[in-house]
Amino acid sequence: MLKVEHLTKVYDDGTVALEDLSFEVPENAFMIVIGLSGSGKSTLLRCINRLIDPTEGRILWNGEDITAAKGQDLRVVRRKIGMIFQQFNLVRRSTVLTNVLSGRLGYTSPTWSLINHFSPADQERARAALARVGLTEKVNNRADALSGGQQQRVGIARALMQEPEMILADEPVASLDPVLAHSILGQLEQLNKEDKITVVCSLHYLDLVQRYATHVIGLRDGHLVFEGTNRDILNMTDERFKDIYGQEAERTAAGSITG
Amino acid sequence: MSNQNNSYGANRRKVETPHRSPVIAGVLSAILPGAGQIYTGQIARGIGFMLLAASMVGLLLWARTTHEFEIFQGILIVMLVALVLFWLWQIVSAVWGATNRKFASSWGLILVLIFTYFLGWQATEVNLRKFFTEFSDTFTIFTRVMWPWEAAIERPEELTTIKSPWGNPCPEILSEAPEQTGSESSGVWVMVDPPCGELGSYVVGEGLKEGTMLTVRGGGFDPNDTVEIWWEDPIGQEFQPRYQGDTVSTTTDSQGNFEIAFSAPQYQTPATAVGMQVHKVEARQVKSVGAPILSETVSLAFGRMLITIFQALMATTFGIVLALPFSFLAARNLMSGNPFTLAIYYGIRFILNVTRSIEPIIWAVIATVWVGLGPFAGVIALTIHTIAALGKLYSEAIESIDPGPIEAITATGANWLQVIIYAIIPQVIPPFLSFTIYRWDINVRMSTIIGFVGGGGIGQILFQWINQTRWSSAGIAVWMIAFTVSVMDYASSELRKRFV
Repeated sequence: MLKVEHLTKVYDDGTVALEDLSFEVPENAFMIVIGLSGSGKSTLLRCINRLIDPTEGRILWNGEDITAAKGQDLRVVRRKIGMIFQQFNLVRRSTVLTNVLSGRLGYTSPTWSLINHFSPADQERARAALARVGLTEKVNNRADALSGGQQQRVGIARALMQEPEMILADEPVASLDPVLAHSILGQLEQLNKEDKITVVCSLHYLDLVQRYATHVIGLRDGHLVFEGTNRDILNMTDERFKDIYGQEAERTAAGSITG
Repeated sequence: MSNQNNSYGANRRKVETPHRSPVIAGVLSAILPGAGQIYTGQIARGIGFMLLAASMVGLLLWARTTHEFEIFQGILIVMLVALVLFWLWQIVSAVWGATNRKFASSWGLILVLIFTYFLGWQATEVNLRKFFTEFSDTFTIFTRVMWPWEAAIERPEELTTIKSPWGNPCPEILSEAPEQTGSESSGVWVMVDPPCGELGSYVVGEGLKEGTMLTVRGGGFDPNDTVEIWWEDPIGQEFQPRYQGDTVSTTTDSQGNFEIAFSAPQYQTPATAVGMQVHKVEARQVKSVGAPILSETVSLAFGRMLITIFQALMATTFGIVLALPFSFLAARNLMSGNPFTLAIYYGIRFILNVTRSIEPIIWAVIATVWVGLGPFAGVIALTIHTIAALGKLYSEAIESIDPGPIEAITATGANWLQVIIYAIIPQVIPPFLSFTIYRWDINVRMSTIIGFVGGGGIGQILFQWINQTRWSSAGIAVWMIAFTVSVMDYASSELRKRFV
């Protein structure tokens, strides 16, 4: 279980990205974070795996304070948390296999990394991960030779290499068309249900939220403005909606895809 | 001009123009070009006219007084007329501007261009007559440079030679004159008649006095082939005597015999010499044998070309090694963290920019003073320029990397070393390689030129051959450079295609 307590992040330039945020992510939840661009969704996800150091507050994971982790401890925390990104963040010129294998770096001795060596077991694991996301034939292609949806599946395979207990997904489908969006979120849902991996995912398509989320939180200007389940989204009043998305926002019919 | 497309400006202009007197505008512009325009509110235009007029007057004065080039009276008159017309034109422009009338501005531009090009033609000493009529003088040189292959081939030679003694001055007892012993077991022989005589000399006031006419006969040579006459003085120095302005040579008859007459060459016998001095007359026949082979020139040019390529290789390698640390210090995304590193960034950038703006040929001149003439000076010059150029290109490659993979790899639990190996290096290697190959290509081209100022390699020998007017040899070097550069060019673009 992930517990966020009074989390605040102020950037060096004085921007307050998150302010006094507290919520819980239950075990095996598929939690979706909604909110406008700039509402703090990305900052929140990056505070969880410490790509960004929070200014104040604590994040407890299975009772352990991960905001205090340093060095090797931080490495061990991070390797149990997979992450996928809006822009996929693959090394474009490297092969698909190399990109997937790099997910195993948290388990690999840096000395082996100097000569670009992964154990045969890791190689096998990488092929299995690629098979799972349906990219067996693309193993030796360059990452930038793949389509957007395929690149995101490489991202998922990379996260799987970490044998994660949790996956953070930062707008994983914002760069993809609607059909691919379902395919990617379907993959995540499968990992959530079959492998019992907790998923924390930021999204801004409400219909996708209703379809995939078990839990939802809403952020606005770094504040928590909504907390509930997918049912609550379905029954959300226009007023609640405008709390999250602002007074100018228009709510489109549930089920359609809006930007 | 500032008040177009602007309703506020347009309104103001309507209000103001009635207060501007065309007469005052015209008079002001007549006194000082552009002043009238400033008076009517066309500030930028007025200042522009003022600067143009000042530059034209200044250039005209310079053209009249400079000794850099010869200026013709006619050209000066055209320039003066253009200047006067420009002056009149801008007065009219000021008057029209005050009365708010449209005015064709292209005439002023045309006058300025006429002025500029007439002066430019003189200053650069363009001479079309020379360009066309004197091309024929160059034509032989040009053809030999473009078609130098006669110098590329030579045939191994076999020398047949025989000498016969000849005395100077003639002894008092004629029988003491050298005996004509010039024959060999192989049947080759040569004789001089008379066996002694007077050498040519130069007497002050009387001019050249020819030596005794000699008849040289010989035999046993290859028939119908050239025989050259050489002369050996008493101390064993050989030279080719000249008779009537030409070296002495003839062709053997069908039996291999020859006969040729010439006067004894001009020679200064040292005053210390006592009695008869014995010279030798030599008949030489040079015969080409065997298959044609590549000439000395080709092998020399080829060797120098290799040196040039190695120069480029060494300079590029040293350049890479030294440019790498600079490139990281000159990458803004790595150095913008705090004011101290940012200051280093600006410092390194400045040094790289200054170094790069100095041409390698200037560095080569400095390097020859430093380490002396030769390929090493060229390597130093190219290395300095390569560091500056690659340092900038590399740093730009680092600046343009995608931060996404760094984030992604960090998130997997990788440590900083693994992040560099898996997220940064794969991103910068391809552009680094591409820039490096491109730079090597440039260095090969530049090292040929650097030889001209003493930087070794093929440029140096090419410069030497040009100075010796050995045009065919120079042509071979030029072709070799052209071939190498185009191969490098092709190879480098092919290689770069694969990395970009």
